[in-house]
Amino acid sequence: MTLVIPVGPQHPALKEPGFFKFEAKGEEITKVDFYLGYAHRGIEETFARRNYKHNIYLSERVCGICNICHSSCYTQAVEKLAGIDPPERAKYIRALIAEFERIHNHFLWLGVAAHQIGFDTLFMLAMRDREIVMDMREMISGNRVHSATNTIGGVRRDVTPEQVPKLLKGLDKLEKAMDYYLNLFQSDRTIIARCSNVGVLKKEDAIKYCAVGPVARASGVETDLRKEDPAGIYSKLSFDVITEKDGDVLARGMVRLREVMESIKMSRQILREIPGGPLRVPVELKIPPNEAIQRVEAPRGELLYYVRSNGTENPERVRIRTPSYATWSSFSTMMVGGTVAEIPIVIWSIDPCFSCTDRVTLVDAKTGKAKVYTLEELGRRHK
Amino acid sequence: MSEILSILYFIFSSIVFPGLLFVSFIGLLYVGIDRKVTGHMQHRIGPPIWQEFLDFGKLMTKEDITPKAAITPIFKAAPILALGSLAAVMLLLPVSSAFPTLMLTADLIVIIYLLNIPGISMMLGGYSSGNPFGIAGAGRYMVQLLGYELVFIMSIVAVAARVGSLNLATVVSYQATQGWLALDWRLLPAVIAVFIAAQGKLLRAPFDIPEAESEIVGGPLTEYSGPKLAIWRVVYDVEAIAVAALLISLLFGGPVTYLIGGVQIPAIVDFLIKTFLIVMLTTVIRNILARVRIDQALKFYWTIGVLLTLISVILVLVVK
Repeated sequence: MTLVIPVGPQHPALKEPGFFKFEAKGEEITKVDFYLGYAHRGIEETFARRNYKHNIYLSERVCGICNICHSSCYTQAVEKLAGIDPPERAKYIRALIAEFERIHNHFLWLGVAAHQIGFDTLFMLAMRDREIVMDMREMISGNRVHSATNTIGGVRRDVTPEQVPKLLKGLDKLEKAMDYYLNLFQSDRTIIARCSNVGVLKKEDAIKYCAVGPVARASGVETDLRKEDPAGIYSKLSFDVITEKDGDVLARGMVRLREVMESIKMSRQILREIPGGPLRVPVELKIPPNEAIQRVEAPRGELLYYVRSNGTENPERVRIRTPSYATWSSFSTMMVGGTVAEIPIVIWSIDPCFSCTDRVTLVDAKTGKAKVYTLEELGRRHK
Repeated sequence: MSEILSILYFIFSSIVFPGLLFVSFIGLLYVGIDRKVTGHMQHRIGPPIWQEFLDFGKLMTKEDITPKAAITPIFKAAPILALGSLAAVMLLLPVSSAFPTLMLTADLIVIIYLLNIPGISMMLGGYSSGNPFGIAGAGRYMVQLLGYELVFIMSIVAVAARVGSLNLATVVSYQATQGWLALDWRLLPAVIAVFIAAQGKLLRAPFDIPEAESEIVGGPLTEYSGPKLAIWRVVYDVEAIAVAALLISLLFGGPVTYLIGGVQIPAIVDFLIKTFLIVMLTTVIRNILARVRIDQALKFYWTIGVLLTLISVILVLVVK
């Protein structure tokens, strides 16, 4: 008997809206289908209606967790567009906050992953230790989550000399905590039993489906934009690209946890080497017609911004390709052949962000057919 | 006259002590403490220890919904059946003295049967709720029952073979003269196995598989709401006490009266302390482990669990 198990849009395993339809024979999953689009907000369109400065605010709202990556990707794209080079100190501060974001994202991942496999104690402890990095973010930027630090041509707030020892102390605490979780993740038998050989994505599949970020790295694909296409000061920082071979949930977890250690190392280097100087350069908002692409390694993988200017204060077109969106195509491969018990942890192992993923499909309600609109048809509204 | 008195005594026993009211009160209180301890283990403050009473009270006032797709009589009867069987099992367990309220010749068999009824009613509730999560949860429960019940029964068999009786009162009085059976080296593997089985019986991590929240919402209880859910909560809590009470009678000497400094401590105090410690042991285990998958659980029970109890049974039968 095939049982259709609906997961979402409201389900305790998913804190965000997405609908997954699993067909299961007993416990084994035979077919997966998923529907996204519950949180479409028309952000790309909104970008074209506001000026470059206002759009910084908007880019941070694409994704709550990766807000720094979005705003730094957007601002760097606009800087390319306008031919501005921000001061060195601003680049260092951008990288520092981006690495803090990676740390807090991966701690959050660890916590929720523990909850998905029914290990609530680890969930609570991981969230407790995540507070350290949240406090550090608040110290630098004044905000815990939406830090609003980046601006076009630099950053808005400085890291003062008094803050540096506090930040270093916080990094020590984080390193100690993550060391413990790394050990736990490698040695706890219930965790290994639940995560090892589950949701396997082979290296060929990872390449075939264009997986990005930790998902690709866990399958053995050595890809990290911080090394391949370093933006800002990443070419000056020393760090290793973490890869694992197995491509299962455990490997994806290990990649993330070991990345936190690398991020801590990088943050220390940034704090050690940060040069003095101004925080930002003045910017002229009327950017002549031009186009620019910027890629950034967000905690979840490759984030891409394409911006086209037309001589006004508003961009003509902004296109965002989020890492979660790029990862979904490899999802069915991981799921089929698994069991119902694996659903939550496998969904979570790709670290999905549903607000990043939502695109709109226009469907005729009578015929049920999807319609593709051409650029001319869509553009007609503006004229 | 004496017949009327004995009937009144029976009614009192089933409803007040050690039946429904007493055991519900202790169960809710102990699970409240369990939640507080869990909170502290997880670096939280945790709810107050009377939180279970508040939850019960709140649920009782909530709307009672029976889904259209449900098979109504079974869906409604399941929680009551479960609670009733647990109240009945308390009559067969020694609580305030070495002797239970009702004496039967082979009461261990009856106890095993009655302790299974909550699980079976939960399955019935899940299957009759007409919810895919309920059905999936009930299916998982069935598999888990096959796992832990074998280990549980075989451990009891090992104890019964050691004492040579299927009567719980005999087991308790045997321990009064010979010492705790848990300290008998021949039964040591069975003691470990019975705790593993109890963890599965009480649906506590790593064996909270049938109601795994993040996988299948609430399992068999997904569609339950209001007073019926409140009764299920009491069933969970009382089951913890009932299983703990059975374990202390089988292995830890049962409720015993002590004399400390010339003051007689009643056996009920001993009962409360021992059951509390056993409930706390399960609490600690559930907080330090992740949930396993159902196939892993079954494999674990049928290999390690059965092996442990088998060693005990053989040792008891061979080594005199």
